Amino acid sequence: MIINYIQRALWFVGLVLLQVLILNHVLIAGYATPFLYVYFILKLDSGISRYSLLMLAFLLGIVIDIFSNTPGLNATAAVFLAFLRPSILRLFTPRDILGDFVPSFRSMGIWPFLKFAIASVLVLTTILIVMEFFSFVNPLSILIRIASCSLLTLFCIVGVESLRRA
Amino acid sequence: MRNLLNFLAKYSYWFLFLVLETLSLALLFRFNRYQQGRFFTSSNYVAGKVYDASNEFTSYFNLRSINDGLLDRNMILSKQVINLRRALEDYRLDSVEINSIEKMLPDSTKLIKAHVIRNSLNMVDNYITLDKGKLDGVKKEMGIVNGEGVVGIVYLTSRKYAVAISLLNSKSSVSCKILGTNYFGYLKWEYGNTRYAFLKELPRHASFSLGDSIVTSGYSSVFPEGIMVGTIEDMTNSGDGFSTVLKVKLSTDFGKLGDVRIISRPTLNEKNKLEGSVIGK
Repeated sequence: MIINYIQRALWFVGLVLLQVLILNHVLIAGYATPFLYVYFILKLDSGISRYSLLMLAFLLGIVIDIFSNTPGLNATAAVFLAFLRPSILRLFTPRDILGDFVPSFRSMGIWPFLKFAIASVLVLTTILIVMEFFSFVNPLSILIRIASCSLLTLFCIVGVESLRRA
Repeated sequence: MRNLLNFLAKYSYWFLFLVLETLSLALLFRFNRYQQGRFFTSSNYVAGKVYDASNEFTSYFNLRSINDGLLDRNMILSKQVINLRRALEDYRLDSVEINSIEKMLPDSTKLIKAHVIRNSLNMVDNYITLDKGKLDGVKKEMGIVNGEGVVGIVYLTSRKYAVAISLLNSKSSVSCKILGTNYFGYLKWEYGNTRYAFLKELPRHASFSLGDSIVTSGYSSVFPEGIMVGTIEDMTNSGDGFSTVLKVKLSTDFGKLGDVRIISRPTLNEKNKLEGSVIGK
């Protein structure tokens, strides 16, 4: 139990450092930045209370914001994702799973987890990019940025997830 | 009550969600200059739209008075345009066309600018109405010229207007001579073609050739000597056999009279008086 908390705390710190030290400086083709910190929200236990979920997501977002000097931006998106996560997870959970589980390739199967990840990442990046631009003057570049960021984030998630399974 | 409490308990995480989102957005708009700026410009945009709409609505109430004002203004401006155009034409005529006449005139003569406001061509007796009268110094029997040549003689004057006998009038009779000689005759017009008049009572022995210029002789008191009248087009003998009649092509085009000059000669009265006293005896 305690090991579980420590493990989660380490993941939290590791993902935040990875995000703020490396991934925030990635800008492929002027559009794509991976937001891998969302992986922490995805991997939370399915039975976690909504309060914990919201609070953890807010904490994660605000820490990322503090380091990347964008107060409130990532927090807004992360809290929004945390609010929707139970519904999304319920939508893509296979019917034969009973009890609580940690979403992963192994527990859910590759395709259901992938769909869950795609939906979650899309929600996060959409909120994030829309709040970042905060105008619809050039909708095309907003759409391109949302799509490319989501794609890159998904690649990272799939990569990390595959490594963990191995 | 129980149901309400149940409901609140079930959806209480909504409040947490709203609180956290509000907090995040507050941070976002408070500490990020870009989003802050966009937020306030957006709200300004909305406020501006509202003011715009209300202004558009209320502006209709003033349209009637604005319309009246515009109409007045329009009339003033069009009046000014007419005046300015007239002044411009005066200026053009002054600097280019009248110069030649002005040089020929004795120093004692004065030119009065005038505009033809009524003109006719198709009567036996044609008259011209001018927009200058006694107040401007116009008097009876003053000569009228334009840039091309002789136009007519003032016949009647009122305070602000004058009526002149055009060359195209059976009563008109101007003393003329052939340029370069002193043979003279009287220019008369006969009903018909407005481009030609006839020089009568020219001595038979006068020598000239077709195309010679006809100018005023200066013998009559109306025109000074040497003002262009026309050119010799043709010649015939008069009925009595003592004189020649010349067909003269008038240099003035009476079909397009506009600006003219009235020749004012201060010595006119003196000369008339002198001549009158001789004839009276």
